[in-house]
Amino acid sequence: MRVFWKTVRDNRRGWIGWTLAVTAVASMYASFWTSIGKNPEMAKAMETYPESLKEALHLQNLNQPESYLASSVFGLLVPMLVAVFAVSAGVKAIASDEEAGTLDLVLAHPVSRVSLALQRFGAIAAVLAVMGTVLCLAIIGLRGPAEFPEVAPSKIMAICLQLALFGLFFAALSYAAGAWTGKRIAAIGTGAAVVVLGYLADSFLPQIEGFGWTESISPFDWYLGGEPLRNGVQPGHAALLLGLAVLLAAAGTWRFNRRDVTV
Amino acid sequence: MATTPAIQTEALVKRYGRSGATALKGLDLTVGEGEVFGFLGPNGAGKSTTIRLLLDLIRPTSGTVRVLGVDPRSSHELRGKLGYLAGDFVVNGRQTGRELLDYLGDLRGGVPRQRIDELAAALDLDLSRRIGTLSKGNRQKVGVVQAFMHRPPLLVLDEPTSGLDPFLQQQFVELVREASGNGQTVFMSSHVMSEVQQTCHRVGIIRDGTLVAVEDIDDLRKRAVRKVEVVFGSPPGLDQIAGLQEPSLTGNVLRGRLSGDADAFIKSIAGFHVTDIVSEEPELEELFFTYYAHPQEA
Repeated sequence: MRVFWKTVRDNRRGWIGWTLAVTAVASMYASFWTSIGKNPEMAKAMETYPESLKEALHLQNLNQPESYLASSVFGLLVPMLVAVFAVSAGVKAIASDEEAGTLDLVLAHPVSRVSLALQRFGAIAAVLAVMGTVLCLAIIGLRGPAEFPEVAPSKIMAICLQLALFGLFFAALSYAAGAWTGKRIAAIGTGAAVVVLGYLADSFLPQIEGFGWTESISPFDWYLGGEPLRNGVQPGHAALLLGLAVLLAAAGTWRFNRRDVTV
Repeated sequence: MATTPAIQTEALVKRYGRSGATALKGLDLTVGEGEVFGFLGPNGAGKSTTIRLLLDLIRPTSGTVRVLGVDPRSSHELRGKLGYLAGDFVVNGRQTGRELLDYLGDLRGGVPRQRIDELAAALDLDLSRRIGTLSKGNRQKVGVVQAFMHRPPLLVLDEPTSGLDPFLQQQFVELVREASGNGQTVFMSSHVMSEVQQTCHRVGIIRDGTLVAVEDIDDLRKRAVRKVEVVFGSPPGLDQIAGLQEPSLTGNVLRGRLSGDADAFIKSIAGFHVTDIVSEEPELEELFFTYYAHPQEA
């Protein structure tokens, strides 16, 4: 576990900063509920928006707290922040270290490549768990002050769990691309491309005739599509995110163990 | 050799990628236990490739590698018995030297802090500073400490003193000698002939992916030409001098070049009044240059 703790230690500032930032953004939007969602004039204004735009931006039924939280808090900014964080952490695990030439030294020590790589990935999984927990506690704490007590804590826990798994998927993706190739740009590119395409597939593409199916292959849909704030944890979606994350991490690690470490 | 060689490679080939360059073309190398072996050759000859194969950072295309009798691929525990230092020692600069060395020591199952402190003191290295704020030379010292701190049976050093000032190079030479005295094996690539000359028992010269020569340093030293200068009270005639190449007499001073056995020369001047004699330490550098420049002659 030495590599695990060293990874946590080396990244502690950045990771604490991201956790606080995600939580702060989410808390801020959640506390706007009283002034936006509960505001009848706002609701009236929303009615004039085109239906397709509202669908694309997940802005339907903003006068219900579940919908408001799902769209404004958990719908765009927070998952984007989590995805960006996850991709950057995944890239750092192997590819950045390798490209900087600093991986050689650690690998010259009596630690196997598999163990090293998995401990580093495990540290990212752990920080995502911490991030999800902190965020969850903050939103649960705001139920009273921000006046959405009808949203059960279990549902908030559900969405935060799905969010953490969503992050884990992207961390695994960029980790795997980096571990497979040893190239930072490949890892960033893969992660960023899937974030962007995944978002489009969940928001704008389904608006086009015949592209409705794209929603179902988007990680954004696996995270939010089942409306965990209303319906609780979606086992199928959660299993899909977790399963793919495990598969990607395993594939990347497998290749990393077999290939040459680049100079 | 009765004992297992510290390093043994047979017909070792390394090609990068499917169509990439062939860095090693059948390297056969044996380094005995307890030996200090200098690994010389021009840039791009395959020195670093060989070292990276020993550490299992890259894998051979064909041929075999044994390090302390073990295939580096088969066991990561082998690396517990190795110390490695690259010439461009790079680590995350946001940690202090102490943090890094504690971590690396932990990976090795613990290294006594006293040992780390002794090495740091000997090298005049401040471990409490962040590595990123250190000069190139001081960063390299951190690398030296991590390579030597656990007294590994085999030290693998890849141009270890690049960027170190002459004083530190000398400190480094002392560390290698000390390690050698403890029976540790040292495998060292280098461009600094003086440190090779001062530390190595044998040198191997690699060129274009194959080993072109392996020489015993003492043999080289004997064969090497050294300049001799003798000052006489009253000089002999040149025809009376034996065993000296290119002898020339200027006033009372005889100059020439001596190689191999000095006995004939000494006997020939023994009958004259010698007021001073200077014989330079043989320069092996020139010998190495012949290998660097003319591989065919090797």
